[in-house]
Amino acid sequence: MQPDIDLKALMVRYQDGDPVAAAALVHGLSGPLHRFFMLQTVSRRYADDLLQETWLRIHEVRHTYRRGEPVLPWLYAIARHVRVDHYRKVRRVETREQQVEQLPEIAAAQAEASDRDADLAALLSGLPESQRDVITMLKVLNMSIEEVARATSSSVGSVKQKAHRAYVTLRERLAGTKVRS
Amino acid sequence: MNGREPEEILNRAAGAPHEVDPTLLARISDSLVSGLRPVRPRPPIWILASALFAITAAVAMAGGVALGLKGIAKLDALEIASIFGVLGVFTWTSALHCVTEMTPGSRRRLSSGAVLAAGSLLLAGVFALLFHDYRTTRFVHQGLVCLTLGLAHGLAAGLAGWLVLRRGFAVNPTAAGVAAGTLASLAGVGMLELHCPNLEALHVLVWHTAVVPVSAFAGAVLARFAMRNR
Repeated sequence: MQPDIDLKALMVRYQDGDPVAAAALVHGLSGPLHRFFMLQTVSRRYADDLLQETWLRIHEVRHTYRRGEPVLPWLYAIARHVRVDHYRKVRRVETREQQVEQLPEIAAAQAEASDRDADLAALLSGLPESQRDVITMLKVLNMSIEEVARATSSSVGSVKQKAHRAYVTLRERLAGTKVRS
Repeated sequence: MNGREPEEILNRAAGAPHEVDPTLLARISDSLVSGLRPVRPRPPIWILASALFAITAAVAMAGGVALGLKGIAKLDALEIASIFGVLGVFTWTSALHCVTEMTPGSRRRLSSGAVLAAGSLLLAGVFALLFHDYRTTRFVHQGLVCLTLGLAHGLAAGLAGWLVLRRGFAVNPTAAGVAAGTLASLAGVGMLELHCPNLEALHVLVWHTAVVPVSAFAGAVLARFAMRNR
């Protein structure tokens, strides 16, 4: 990923209507964004949809980016909102269309994840959504604690607490797997 | 995953590249670039918060003046300073919080629920300390009048505040609704402190304070309704 200072400059140019900056942002940030969605137990098809929806939403609300502020928290705050919104719409449609059948299971979606991410997706799947978001942003997307706090609309202390709890759960899960095998 | 630490798996994942379909990227890029126009960034948070503070104060004062300043006329200097001091701090905190709720990626120190709870308790605490007339003359009837008047002024402040916040984007609509409802309610409480001549402790403590949580709840319900019907 590009350094945040470049992202800030690109965002300013994007707000000013520069198409080169818009294309550069899409190409520079879509990889991590797509991965963020893939690791949240969704299929590649859902991740593609969410990526498109997120960029459309970013385009609509690009004026809400405050110049000089870090770009990634702004971007992932919108991405999280899009994901929640998307699930809500999908659930509503699927509840209407298939009252009897169950919603697609997480495990089925995970099967579509790439081999490279399979271990990681399996590892994170047992965590609550908020902890999964924190671990993904901190460890996979290499965001700082302050950036994660802003992206998740929470305090730095809360992020540290969620990360700690997630690590405890992950270690217990790995230890449990080891003992069983 | 056997025998490995979470850090090892996470670090390995962090270093791995992640490919996205190039045609998808080209499609997204094209859709953004076509007809791309410059946009005017939102003003800084403190300017928006100041505008919201001014609107809340203006609605409270306009309501108080229109209905008669009978309440403030019965208060002494200490009571005026305490009540309006707390209201001012609560309003400024709520205005700041409201703007951050409508700005993705901004720093938050408190949740909307915490601002609502802390502000309401502070307000109730000041009322409890200042008023000691424990009679309850026409408690429900007079209370409902004050609650209705307070909420009506909150609604007016909420509508005016929307003009300031309409270009924002709430990543958590329910929290934003609670924040907006809390802020709007303070126009109602301010008006009641200026206008209401009933200084019975329980009346002020229950009915004037109740404007805040009721308005916050209404804000949350409205926000959820708006989100569902978007």
